[in-house]
Amino acid sequence: MRKLLALTAVVLLPTTALAESFDQAFNMNRGMYGKDHTFTWNGKQYSTNHQEDVEASVEATQANATALVEKAKAKNAEAGAVGFEWKLTKGLIKEAEAALAEGEYQKAMNLAAQAKYHARIGIQQHEYAESNWHLSIPQ
Amino acid sequence: MKIIKNLAVSVGLIMSAQLATAAGNTLETVDPEADRIALQNFYKKRFPEAEIADYVNGIYAVDAGSREQWNELEEFPPYEFDVEAGETLFNTPFANGQSYADCFENGGIGIRQNYPYWNKEQGTVKTLEMEINECREKNGEKPLKWGKGPIAQISAYMAWTSRDNTIDIKIPEDDKRALAAYLEGKKFFYTKRGQLNLSCANCHMQGSNIRIRADLPSPALGHTTHFPVFRSKWGELGTLHRRYKGCHQDSRSKPLEMQSEAYRNLEYFQTYMSNGLVVNGPGARK
Repeated sequence: MRKLLALTAVVLLPTTALAESFDQAFNMNRGMYGKDHTFTWNGKQYSTNHQEDVEASVEATQANATALVEKAKAKNAEAGAVGFEWKLTKGLIKEAEAALAEGEYQKAMNLAAQAKYHARIGIQQHEYAESNWHLSIPQ
Repeated sequence: MKIIKNLAVSVGLIMSAQLATAAGNTLETVDPEADRIALQNFYKKRFPEAEIADYVNGIYAVDAGSREQWNELEEFPPYEFDVEAGETLFNTPFANGQSYADCFENGGIGIRQNYPYWNKEQGTVKTLEMEINECREKNGEKPLKWGKGPIAQISAYMAWTSRDNTIDIKIPEDDKRALAAYLEGKKFFYTKRGQLNLSCANCHMQGSNIRIRADLPSPALGHTTHFPVFRSKWGELGTLHRRYKGCHQDSRSKPLEMQSEAYRNLEYFQTYMSNGLVVNGPGARK
């Protein structure tokens, strides 16, 4: 029986534990240290920055801020189309647009990055739910 | 040889576990009656003291303290005036001389238990509120707003005339689209969404009668039996879809429109889960 359990664990391991461990490591490090932190996973170094943190770290110009706000709007429209728009995202985009209009480009980029992150994770949530929603049903 | 045998058994175990999780969750395998019984069994295990028939009373079926307060509230039901207003509205003829009674089976009396239902001709789930507004439009009147006010009052009166009638939602076998709508409702109920990554089930199954700040989420079983409700937080009567919208927003999602297809499918699923329970709307809730 022990051997059977061990074998089951070995077969399951690659599809469960290992597949998720990067996300777990990333989320734990991001949660503990915030952005701009470096962590090691499986012998390699990774940053805790989201892709939106990187997008907001370029030079704060009108063109860059406008581009990021547009990206956030497009991504949020994508999330809305599948019914997974989050509650605060539209407000963040409005604030980003207001900052852009005021010439506060870094502020606009930070807000747009946050909005785009919301939208991106909303879409991920939808994709995950499409094949895993039934896992919430108590057995 | 033994290793190979064990490995084969392991793979078999994994495959059967995967099949088990898929069972009942696709159009080919979904079984509404099995779902209904499974939901009842979930609550029988979760709250062994509570009677299934009592789940029409929401959280008051499982929390004695809340029930005590509710019993006192029900001595002078806060929805009473709305039922009276609903009766007046229901019986007031439209400008063309027709009335709501002309639009519904049995003159609209004692029919709440049959809603929502699958409309084969239109290929969609029809709710009571939807048909109230369709009746108005058919008779040259403007539709009412979905969440509160007159539509909730008319719905409350119609529920009142249906009290104690057994809920009997049907999923016609000759139209696969009905089962698909049910499945969509079920999927919505169990899907995690919003910034808080919560599904309806998270709060109303696993989380029922467990505090979220000062609130105790109600059990999902019997959810639709008592709507519309006079909610103390609202200070007025509201429809089921108003509550859906609020709940959806509580997960930090942008809520859908009331009477959207997704909410109607959700109502179809949830009300089917209440088959066998009785209509006890309108209700009073915290």
